This record gives sequence, structure tokens and C-alpha cells, in this order.
Amino acid sequence: MTDVRSAACLALLVLGMGMRATIAAPLDDAAERYRPYMIEGIGQALAGARDLRERVVAKDLAGAKKAWISARAGWERSEVFTAGFVPELDAKIDAWPNADSGFHAIEAKLFGAGRTDVESDTDALVEHLDGLHRRLRDMPLTPQGLLDGTVRLAYEVGEGKADGGESRLSGTSLDDMRNNVAGIDLAHRTIFAAALRKTDAGLADVVDARIEQLKAIVAGSDLPHIDIRGLRRASEELVVALQGASAKLGLQRPTLEAQSR
Amino acid sequence: MIVHRSWIAGLALGFLIAGFHGRAVAFPVDGDQTTLPPKTELNEDALDKPREVFRSEIAGGKSYMINLGNLAFSSAAILGGVARQAGVSCGTCHVNGAGNAKFFMPKMSTRPGNFDTTGPLFNPKADNLVLDPVRIPSLRGARYLAPYGNDGRMPSLRDFVHNVIVNEFAGPEPSPVILDALVAYIQDIDFLPNPSLGPGGRLIGKISDSERRGEALFKKPFPHDPNLSCAGCHVPSGAFVDHQQHDVGSGGLFKTPTLRNADFNAPYFHDGRFDSYDQVVGHFDRVFDLGLAAQDRRDLVAYLTAVGDGTQPYENDGVGATLKEINDFATVLGTAIPAGDKDTVALAVETIGNELRELTEQFPDRKNTSVSGGEQERVYARSALKELVLTLRRIDIAVAEGRTSDATTDYRNYRYLMVAAVPSLLGGAQPWSLFNPAVHDAHYAALRKVMQSKHVPH
Repeated sequence: MTDVRSAACLALLVLGMGMRATIAAPLDDAAERYRPYMIEGIGQALAGARDLRERVVAKDLAGAKKAWISARAGWERSEVFTAGFVPELDAKIDAWPNADSGFHAIEAKLFGAGRTDVESDTDALVEHLDGLHRRLRDMPLTPQGLLDGTVRLAYEVGEGKADGGESRLSGTSLDDMRNNVAGIDLAHRTIFAAALRKTDAGLADVVDARIEQLKAIVAGSDLPHIDIRGLRRASEELVVALQGASAKLGLQRPTLEAQSR
Repeated sequence: MIVHRSWIAGLALGFLIAGFHGRAVAFPVDGDQTTLPPKTELNEDALDKPREVFRSEIAGGKSYMINLGNLAFSSAAILGGVARQAGVSCGTCHVNGAGNAKFFMPKMSTRPGNFDTTGPLFNPKADNLVLDPVRIPSLRGARYLAPYGNDGRMPSLRDFVHNVIVNEFAGPEPSPVILDALVAYIQDIDFLPNPSLGPGGRLIGKISDSERRGEALFKKPFPHDPNLSCAGCHVPSGAFVDHQQHDVGSGGLFKTPTLRNADFNAPYFHDGRFDSYDQVVGHFDRVFDLGLAAQDRRDLVAYLTAVGDGTQPYENDGVGATLKEINDFATVLGTAIPAGDKDTVALAVETIGNELRELTEQFPDRKNTSVSGGEQERVYARSALKELVLTLRRIDIAVAEGRTSDATTDYRNYRYLMVAAVPSLLGGAQPWSLFNPAVHDAHYAALRKVMQSKHVPH
């Protein structure tokens, strides 16, 4: 009961802070324009996973690793929507740290143990990604859900992964971050940027600047040389700006955790 | 001081920072192949933390300067670029003002609990080209323990702290107020009380025969030099020191270390060469030809153990203790925001924000395979903590832009969340958090299992 009360208290405060002058913006069409990119991103992940399966069957460790990285890139760009729109598949595909299936289970065997006996794991990954790919064609999309996902991912990028991140065995955590930022950039430009510029050009400039800042930071040569402090600051300033943008766009204040609305 | 808990650091795989031939880079030392020696357990992986006792809390409450000093002590920004990148603060080594017997940094330590302050990692200019690590000391009772440094080279704690920051770590010149605050904080860390110690450092209460015999031996003149005794240097008093340097056959002149709370200060000697009192007593027996019988040695160890004890040396790390410390840090904002003190606000926002982000990771997200149940509770907890981080960031932005009024409003919201919502939300999720030993163990076991896959022969 106490938790419920506290949660309500938090929600009221948070929502109250977001209840400023709102100008409704027709974002549904913009969300639809984002759909092909979603399909493309998961399509790349699926193609990579299929290639991974072929390489694994052929016992081609180097090729399998390369395919895993390719599949992973498509997935990371898609994290804007995976956690919010398909949480059950997201949990199966991207579970961590010692998952029974999904990317990280395969990563541990390929990159950790140097083994290619991951046929059943890759079968499952292909099945899950294929299922998601097919669902994307007619999955209902909401601007709110896409803003929620964009904001959550922007916050997550600020964690910096200075400790190596969740893709540490493959050494691709920086790639994860770059693809996350690319996903944020694409979603914002496709769905929200134009509408925000119409209602608040100054805020639109701030959002654009913070995204560019993130892109510049994660363009660093390797994870140890990433400006962790600057990354965190830019990430949080972007989230703060997008929280402000939500009201301007006629949307609710974005959630910071999937399934928390 | 709050302990950093990034997940990977809990793997006991040696993850801090690496400096190779003067080129300092962040994480991980020797990549995935790093294996830490036995007894090493990075403090992120520990549920029990050294208990911190503040003199001012007994007197009524911590001052702004003490809280600011504690904040700076916990900030990775104080020690310069390499430390900042690696998330290393003063508190990384001096956990809650105590030492850190489990700390080990490959290439900079020779055993858990020591660290080379004149190595190439943080300040190549300070590199003496010798791997000569020194023990990480406890700071409890530091105000009684001048001079400072294991060789007692500096009479002033302020000068010593300055030297650590600027010379050993190549950190930026600290502002006078930050330096004063760090000193205020360190001087506020008290010894843990020891009810067995009475006036003049005498053992009181229920004392065993062995301890009594040890006390007598401690004061007894050395057989071959009656001017010397254990008590001659470790003067039975408030701190059991004489504020002098001595050569006790360990390779030079080193200052007399305190015996207070020393049960929790292993390893011993300036370089941490000894694990136990028994080894220490054995060293003195050999070097000074004391002719101790086996029972004498046991009696001295019993005495040292009684003197070095302290009440409740460790406390369980939980939501309550963590939030208390974060709240202490945040009080700094109550002064810095109205003053428009941009630097202090930025320091507080960065440090508290880091602590809150790390606290968030104590509540695993729904993709974490090592915990099940309490998903909604964890979502609430993580959401609340993230909201706090962002509220702090808004404060930082507002103060930087001169919008003090907006910052004050956000600070009020922050305090409101901290009082009205966060404790119960976090408390509600605690059973499914890493504060729960079962979840904690499952989580770190899972991480180890994954990381150790790298070591499977193939």
C-alpha cells in the first residue's frame, strides 16, 4: 500500500512537472514514416542472424563473429522501440548476463569460449527476429511509445559502459552505443524534429545540438577514450530537453523505464 | 563516501584502469585475461561496508564543509583526468574512510591492500620507475595521527591531501574551499569506539589472562635495549602513536601506525607485507631479538586484538544507509544553489548523479536473468532514481544559466521525491535488489560465469 501511495506520489509529481502549455501535433503520420526504418533495422538484425546460423553450421568461427556483430548493429539501432513495443521478445533476444538464449548467450560462446556450437541458440534468435520482423508491418505505433523509447535509450547511453558494457566479451559495446545514438537520431529526425521546430525552435535546436554532441562523443576511437563525463551530461541534457519537448508536442512526459506508464 | 558498484567491477577480474608505458587509458587492466589474486574482492562486490563514525554526528550534526568534503572525497572529478575516466575517487581506496584490504590494481599493487602512489598510471611525472606500493591506510582518527604519509613526511593534513591530489594523481589544483572541506571531512572520521579501552589506553572490563599478560609484555623493555618497548612508540593513549618515525627493520624510517581499530586495518606495515598480528609480532621478535616464547607471542596478539577492536566495524549496505549518505551530499545544494555557486553545484550534480545511477543498477532491469519477481517494484525504483538524476541535471542547467529560482524549485522537487516517494519505492523493491544477499550472489555468480567463459581453453 505504501508503495502504491509512493508511486502515485511520484507519478503525480512527474506528470505535474510535465503539464505545461501543450500544443497538439499530428505525429501519427510521422510515426508511420518511421515504420520502414524499424523494418529495415530489424531486417538487418535478421539477415545477420541468418548469416550467423550459416556460419555456425559451417563451423566458421571468424565468420560467425562477424555475422553476430552485423546482427547486433541492426538490433541496437532498433532499441528505440523494442523494449516498449515488444518487451517479451526484447527480453528473449537481449537478456543478460547469463541468458539461455539471445545475443548474449551466443556472444559468450562465440567470443568468450571460441565455440561454434550455438546452432539451437541461433535458431531461436532467427525465429524471434523473424517473428518480430513480420509483426512490424502492422504493429500499432504510437508517437508516445516512440518518444518513451527514444528518451529511455538516450538515458541509457549516458551510462557510458566505461566498465566494458554488456557486450564486453565481443568488445562491441562502443558499437552498441554508436548504434543506439544513431537510432535516437533517426527516430527524432523522422518523427519529432519537424513538429518540435514548429512549436519551439529554440528547444528543437537544443535537442539537435545534444544529439550531435552524443554522436561526436561516441565517435571516439575506443571505449577507454570516450569522454564518459561529457557523454553522461549530454545524455541527461538530451533527456531533459525531450521531457520539455513532450509537452510542446502534446504528448505525456516520457517514461524512464519500459512498462512503467 | 559511497562505494562504486558498476556491475563489471564486481567480477573480481581487475577492472579499473591501465597505464602502459606512460600512456594512461581507462579499463580494463590486461583485458579479460586479468585475474586477481586470492583474497581480492573489489568492494563493489561486498555487501558489508566499513562503518563510518563521525565526530560531528555525535555532537549534533555534520556541517556544510564536512558534507562538501565527503562529496568531494567521493567524486571522481577531484583526482584528475585518468581517475575521472576510471571512476576512481578518494573513496575507492578509503572505503567509508577505512582502508581497503581487498583493493588490487594490476601493475600498481603487489598484493591486495596496497597501491603504488609513485607509479606511471595517474601521473607519469611522479613515476619513480619502481614498483613500490604502499599500504592503503584507514583514515579513522586521522586528526590524531600527524605527521602524514606512511613515512610521516608531512606535518599538515591539508598539505598531504593537496599532495595526493596534485602530485600523486596529477589532479587539478583544488580550490581552497574544496581542500578545506576534504580536510574537515577526514578530520571528522572518528575511531570506532572500543569499550575495552580505558583511560591511559589500559584494557578495562572483562579482560582475559592472555590479554593481561600481553599488556604487560607490551610495556616491558626490550631485553637487548631497555630504552625500547612496544609501548615506547605505540604510546598507550588515545591513538597509540608517538608521532615519530622509526626504523623497525622494514627498510627505512616509517611513522608509528595507530593500533586503534587496527584489527580492521590489515595488511600491516608500510607496504602491507604482513597479513596478521602474529606475523607482525614475529617480525619484531626477530629484528629486536625479543626471545618471545610461543605463549608470549599469543599473548601479545591477544592484547593487540583487544586494543585494535572496534564496535560494529561493518554495516550492511542497504537502501537506508545509501540514501542517508546521498541525502547528506544533497544538503550541499541547499547552500550552493542560493549562492549561485556553479562549481559546487556541478560537482554535487555529477557526484550524486553517479551515485544515483549506480544505485539504480542495484535494482536489476527486467532483462537481467539473475533475478525474477518484483518486476513492477523494480520498475518503480529505477524510474524514481532516474527521475532524481534528471532533476539534478535540471538544477545544474538552471544554475549554469543563472536561473536560480528554477533551480530552487527543482531542488524542492528533488527533496520532496527523496522524502515522500523514493525511500518506500526503493524499500519495496529491495527484496529483488542486489541488496538482497541471495539476489546479489546470483547476479555476481552469473557475471562471473559469463566472464570466465573467456578463460575456457579452446
